[in-house]
Amino acid sequence: MASRVLAQCVRTLARSSARLSGGNLAVRAVAAPVSASHRSFSVISNAERRRVLEQSRVSVVSVWCRQYGDLPPLTLETIRDRVMYVLKLYDKVNPEKLQTTSHFMKDLGLDSLDQVEIIMAMEDEFGE
Amino acid sequence: MASSSRTQVIALYRMLIKESSKFPSYNFRTYAIRRIKDGFRENKHVDNPKSMDELLTRARESLALIKRQVSVGQMYSSQRTIVEGFGAR
Repeated sequence: MASRVLAQCVRTLARSSARLSGGNLAVRAVAAPVSASHRSFSVISNAERRRVLEQSRVSVVSVWCRQYGDLPPLTLETIRDRVMYVLKLYDKVNPEKLQTTSHFMKDLGLDSLDQVEIIMAMEDEFGE
Repeated sequence: MASSSRTQVIALYRMLIKESSKFPSYNFRTYAIRRIKDGFRENKHVDNPKSMDELLTRARESLALIKRQVSVGQMYSSQRTIVEGFGAR
């Protein structure tokens, strides 16, 4: 129960921070040059914001793509990381023994009821 | 029943947890999920088919009860408690 709540909190935080990180950098960058020069407010803020947003977008996601408020792209590594993250949060799983090749029943000692819970946690993580 | 009792038990477990997570009240939700997990785990080793049938019918009745109480709770829901945080379903 606590693990599921924690996972949900982290997921919503990650999503909102991915959208806010561009905005925060832009706000901070806009505040500095506006105090220095006396040009019109809207012109400099738009140019600065667009440049900083593009820069921050490139640094945050290494693929050059436009993000229209969508979830991060699904690659094999992101999927694997999310699956391992959900499994590590499950309290019956020993995080040191966990690998991508570990078998639920033989290596980790889980039974079919735990399997149901893990599958439901995966559905919560990946679908809506 | 065409399906074996093992798959029935797993399907009932899954449906019970899914329905219990729809409770709008924090207390009912956490109690129901905890009680379901503990109840299924302590009867994991039962072999006798008669007692298994009894337990399965009790589980089905609990499932119907949970579904009814979820609808009632959603009709008359109260404020979110502070422990639930954001993103609680």
